[in-house]
Amino acid sequence: MAHDRGPFKLSNPWPVIGWGVVAGALVVSVVLGFGVLSRFQQNAPTLDLWAAICRGLGITSDTAPATQPQPALNTPTRIAWTPSTLEQIASGDAERGAFIAMNCVACHGQRGVSGSDVYPTLAGMSPAVIYKQLDDFRTGKRPWGVMGGVAKALSDQDSADVAAYFASQPNGLPPVDGYRVPEPGRSLRETNPAKRLAFAGDPARGIPPCAACHGQGGYKIGAPALQQQRPDYIEAELQFFAQGVRANDIFGQMRNIAKQLTPDEMHALALFYSESGGPQASIR
Amino acid sequence: MQNSGRLALLHFWVAFAVFLPAVVLGAWQMLMRSPLPAPLDDPDAYYTSVTLHGTVMAYVVTTFFAMGLGYAVAATSLGRPIRGATAAWIGFIICLVGTVMAVATILSGRASVLYTFYPPLLASAYYYGGVFLLVAGSMIWVVLMIYNMGLWKRDNPGHPVPLAMFAMTATAILWGWSASGVVIELLGILLPRSLALTTEIDPGLARTLFSITLHSIVYFWLMPAYVAFYTLVPQAAGGRLYSDTMGRLTFIMLLVFSLPVGLHHMFADPELGDGFKFVQSFLTFFVALPTLLTVFSLTASLEIAGRARGGKGLLGWVAALPWNEPIVLAVGLSLVMLGLGGFGGLINMSYAMNSMIHNTSWVTSHFHLIFGGAVVIMYFATAYEMWPRMTGRPLRSKTLACWQLWLWFAGIMIVTIPWHITGLMGQPRRVAIFDYSDPFVAPTAPWVIASVIGGAILLVSAILLIVILLLSQVGERKLAEPMRYALAVNPPRTVPSSLNGFALWNGILVVLMLVAYGYPIGQFFVLKSTVPAYEVVRASNEAR
Repeated sequence: MAHDRGPFKLSNPWPVIGWGVVAGALVVSVVLGFGVLSRFQQNAPTLDLWAAICRGLGITSDTAPATQPQPALNTPTRIAWTPSTLEQIASGDAERGAFIAMNCVACHGQRGVSGSDVYPTLAGMSPAVIYKQLDDFRTGKRPWGVMGGVAKALSDQDSADVAAYFASQPNGLPPVDGYRVPEPGRSLRETNPAKRLAFAGDPARGIPPCAACHGQGGYKIGAPALQQQRPDYIEAELQFFAQGVRANDIFGQMRNIAKQLTPDEMHALALFYSESGGPQASIR
Repeated sequence: MQNSGRLALLHFWVAFAVFLPAVVLGAWQMLMRSPLPAPLDDPDAYYTSVTLHGTVMAYVVTTFFAMGLGYAVAATSLGRPIRGATAAWIGFIICLVGTVMAVATILSGRASVLYTFYPPLLASAYYYGGVFLLVAGSMIWVVLMIYNMGLWKRDNPGHPVPLAMFAMTATAILWGWSASGVVIELLGILLPRSLALTTEIDPGLARTLFSITLHSIVYFWLMPAYVAFYTLVPQAAGGRLYSDTMGRLTFIMLLVFSLPVGLHHMFADPELGDGFKFVQSFLTFFVALPTLLTVFSLTASLEIAGRARGGKGLLGWVAALPWNEPIVLAVGLSLVMLGLGGFGGLINMSYAMNSMIHNTSWVTSHFHLIFGGAVVIMYFATAYEMWPRMTGRPLRSKTLACWQLWLWFAGIMIVTIPWHITGLMGQPRRVAIFDYSDPFVAPTAPWVIASVIGGAILLVSAILLIVILLLSQVGERKLAEPMRYALAVNPPRTVPSSLNGFALWNGILVVLMLVAYGYPIGQFFVLKSTVPAYEVVRASNEAR
């Protein structure tokens, strides 16, 4: 059989066997998968064949264009991190923002570094965070007297510009980029409660590590950097979340977490974050 | 071994040199997850370690080992120096550069995306570039294997290609097909995004492309072990291979049926319809057949050897086998692990049973048992067979080698059996720290501690492996026995051209892949389901 007429000739048994087995397997599996499996499923006992094939492909008959729900949903915030929102934020002009920020320094300090415990430092904060909070102030999703009026005077582009300005200011919050140098003592075995909560969370209470969103070692768009922030401000905001007074967090994440924290833990976390992550901690 | 001895040896050394640190990482990871105190207990360190351990074990060790074995087999089984040695060295350098790039980037903390990449997670471009170079460099090896086999067939018309070379070329062709998934994913989606040439990623398309690689790569890992089963073990046991034809059929079936089945790794993915998940699970049944054939063939070959050595009665031949030969011992241990691991695999491929163990420790335990156990123990044994032929120096001690294999077997069993149990108890995978005071988690604690002990045993075995190989590298040069591959009971004088080449099977594969993957991949170009990427380390403070 040395010259067995080549691999693609029908008189050679192996191609017949090969193609036959494969064709048989494909036909049986396609018939079973699209004709039988898709037809006899729980919610619709017997679909017609065409609908069954579509369902098998993943195109269900209830696929329809999305309609606006009436009445409109009550959401914690209007901001979703869509490509268009991210583009709007990225289009911020820091020079124009400097001009707008002349109205902010009275409370938030020269160049965004706050000298007061009541008002947060904005220098170095992610522009996405500032943009979202301004929008929440503007719509009243985050009620805080003065800021509502301030935000209503700013357009979306103004918000993006002033956010870009503050993000570029030095000597404020270190950037949260998701990087940290691994160190021991960042698991549940850590004895310092603030450090343990910050890096390992508390699984028993369903509290994720703060660092997963706020850094160091993680980040989430819209979660502000906490390192070097005013400690009383952090503690006050945690209390507002716990009481439900502040309710602009997506999916109620911060409210769920803050409700579980004891006042001592809130205080310890505020101190831990305000003292950590100085300029020397940012890796560039 | 003519010109390929040093080439093969260097490939093996790279493979085993990175193997040992990766085992250290694995042992540390097991300790970190356990109730016991671990050094550097930081979840960020854990995920960096998992990425490094996975990338090294899944891509580096395996690729270098297969390449080295391929060159060694090509030279010895065809009885002449390999053609294209310069290209082979160039390929080696490219793979090495890629490895160094990937490893350095992972160690810098900028690529903790695990070895399956997990889009829309995004790592540094240097990581993807490193993996790409490693895979692309190995394509030179693929071409060289096909080229050398083709040249030999041209020079020896009508003669059957030696089974070892046929099998290694099937391995190379499989790797060529398999790597296409990850290469298209890297070149088309991940590298452009990580170089900021695009702004979004389609995770469904990326994952579906990767699934082409994800299952077939395990057969790329497994086929060198099967080459040892068919062509080295019967000879070492003092017998003959039961059937040459069964061997050829096995490798052909592995080539054809390991590729159009990747969707069985995507059962829980919502972006793919049930119809194609079913088609590919059905085809997965067929890839179990070559393993069943192999177990039969191997046992039959061993029985021939046992009876030739004087074994009598129904099972007397088992005791008569030369169990003090490392490769024979390795086969016995490997078959035990193959049986258990294969059984677990049957569960994973069954949609409903898979739902019970999806994303639990059962999955990690399964692949450590089947790959880290059954396959890697054969890598060790093959290395012990090859070393004297490559270095010209004898293996330092067969007793020590057998100890190393027993330790590895014991370690794997002690690591993976408790790990399967914790998986059934619901322990999730890829989790760095567990709260063992939680009543749901507490019952897993003693099993995890058992696995830690197993990990320590594996570490001792891995150190012993390197010691044996190093000791076998130095010492008096002695003319080694030439490489002799097992003869079949009825050695074929001629073989049908379909069992002597791959044209037919590649043709069948084109059709199979089009039918199995055409719609699942094509749908993404209509769905346009892209999302922003999540860089594990952001380049700057800008929103994007």
